[in-house]
Amino acid sequence: MTGHSPALALEDVSKRFGRIQAVNHLSFEVEPGQMCGFLGPNGAGKSTTLYMIPRLVRPGGGRLSVFGVDIWKDYKKAIRSVGVTVESPAFYEYLTGRKNLELAASLLDKVSPREIDQILERIGLAERQHDRVRVYSTGMKQRLGIGRAMLGRPRLLILDEPTNGMDPEGTNEVLSFLREQVRKEGLTVFVSSHLMSEIEEFCDTVLVIDQGRLVASGRVKELLKPHERIVRVTFQGRIPDGDFLSRHGEILRVEPVSGDTVEFTLARDDSAWLNQCLQQAGFTVSALAPKQKTLKEFFLSITGDKSHA
Amino acid sequence: MRSQFVPLLLNEAAKAARRTLPYFGIFALGLANVVTYFAAGHLTNAATENAWGYVGFSMQMVFSDVGPILIVTFAARLMAEETGTGTIRAALAAPVHRWEFYVAKAVIGLLYMMVFSAAALLFSVALAGIHYRFGPIGDSAGIVYSRNQAMQELLAAYALSWIPLGALVMYGLLISTLIRTTGEAVSVAIATLIVIDLTKHLAGLDPYIFTRHITYPWLNLLQMAHAMDYQWRPEVWKMIELSGVSAVIMFVAGLIIFTREDLNH
Repeated sequence: MTGHSPALALEDVSKRFGRIQAVNHLSFEVEPGQMCGFLGPNGAGKSTTLYMIPRLVRPGGGRLSVFGVDIWKDYKKAIRSVGVTVESPAFYEYLTGRKNLELAASLLDKVSPREIDQILERIGLAERQHDRVRVYSTGMKQRLGIGRAMLGRPRLLILDEPTNGMDPEGTNEVLSFLREQVRKEGLTVFVSSHLMSEIEEFCDTVLVIDQGRLVASGRVKELLKPHERIVRVTFQGRIPDGDFLSRHGEILRVEPVSGDTVEFTLARDDSAWLNQCLQQAGFTVSALAPKQKTLKEFFLSITGDKSHA
Repeated sequence: MRSQFVPLLLNEAAKAARRTLPYFGIFALGLANVVTYFAAGHLTNAATENAWGYVGFSMQMVFSDVGPILIVTFAARLMAEETGTGTIRAALAAPVHRWEFYVAKAVIGLLYMMVFSAAALLFSVALAGIHYRFGPIGDSAGIVYSRNQAMQELLAAYALSWIPLGALVMYGLLISTLIRTTGEAVSVAIATLIVIDLTKHLAGLDPYIFTRHITYPWLNLLQMAHAMDYQWRPEVWKMIELSGVSAVIMFVAGLIIFTREDLNH
């Protein structure tokens, strides 16, 4: 293990279930101190990939390592740095929230009762810690799952749909909390979610897989660079007509957005050229902006409009 | 890295202590013992003429049906409950090897079986003490077995009874590993146990099925209480061999399956 090792690294990892190739020579790295989103359409292999990290699923080939430690060669050492919640967190429902954390803590090194208190406080369950989990709401269970994953101060947190079943306020709270842990404690968070807006708002980087392969990766800001080919223009007075369009072959499509706003699709990435053409033709432009891509649009553009992540 | 076996075992004990089944099991045992006690009162069998005979008789009754069903139910829940509810995902995401987890489950199953059979014995001895004497055993010719000899045989029967019951635990655990929902695992474990018991004689498989020995140690005590000259030691070796080999095969099979299977559903 070195100081420069990625928090999580997959090298040429594959997994086949019968005739289905769930993960297909997948390789990627997650750098330490980042919040990384993991996206893919249903059946893309996200869950299988996440399941392989705590060895719930045996890979058919390849190598998985956490901070440079091979998961299959030295599992205990590797997994001590990791807190994991795969799928919806499950608990011993007949036990209290606190007892569930105590059982999980007993398998880790030196987790004090005080640390459990602090975690319960942070996840907002301090007052309900002595209630049995069977009376918890879905959102409370999600928070307890995050709390359990954070026991033992892991350096890498792997969360599968951590905000499922939470209300918007709770979702925001949890993700802000995780974001803060990344910023203050240098924690690495690897999170799969089908809520694109969450990933877009809170993650530094994103990985997109489809049919078991990595199809896109990078910093969220770079992936979502403004789309120069689609330009939204607001006019004062008249708006362009068919005559204007017929004289400019580089304008592929025009779609009205509202009474005075039109969206142009250009053949090339050049909004400045469009602005010049409009000015020359005597149109009064009050606003012109390349359209900002959303993560959802980006995702759909590379995964071919399949159902959600 | 240190083994997590002890914390795992303590966790298993903590979980078991908060479930209803172990307590219900002990309650059911007590009930079965009381019923047996009153049934024995109506018998004129010489086996119930002394406390040793009563203990042998009542333990045989308890472990012919109720006992094995409760033990196999407990064992069949051990893995299936974790896989069925998904708690296994969190348990194995800790620094724990799968074999440690499985061994802890096997040990807690065996511990429950021991506690369960100890409770059955205590009930039986307590009820025997109401009407019978734990004295020497004799016939018209005089004392055949002293009190100490009888006590030794009772303890031997108790210890020997763990061997087929241990195999029963491993059977339940194997079913629990193969079938991933609690209800189905318990149903299959009980149903197959009953079907095997009903058909083994017909199929000629009786000598090869360990369940034939579940009540066997208590039969020995019962025979001794009759002041019979029992020749049971060769059969005890067969019991140890059959139940021991069955238990080891089922344990190893379950362990191999569990350590190699994908737990993604």
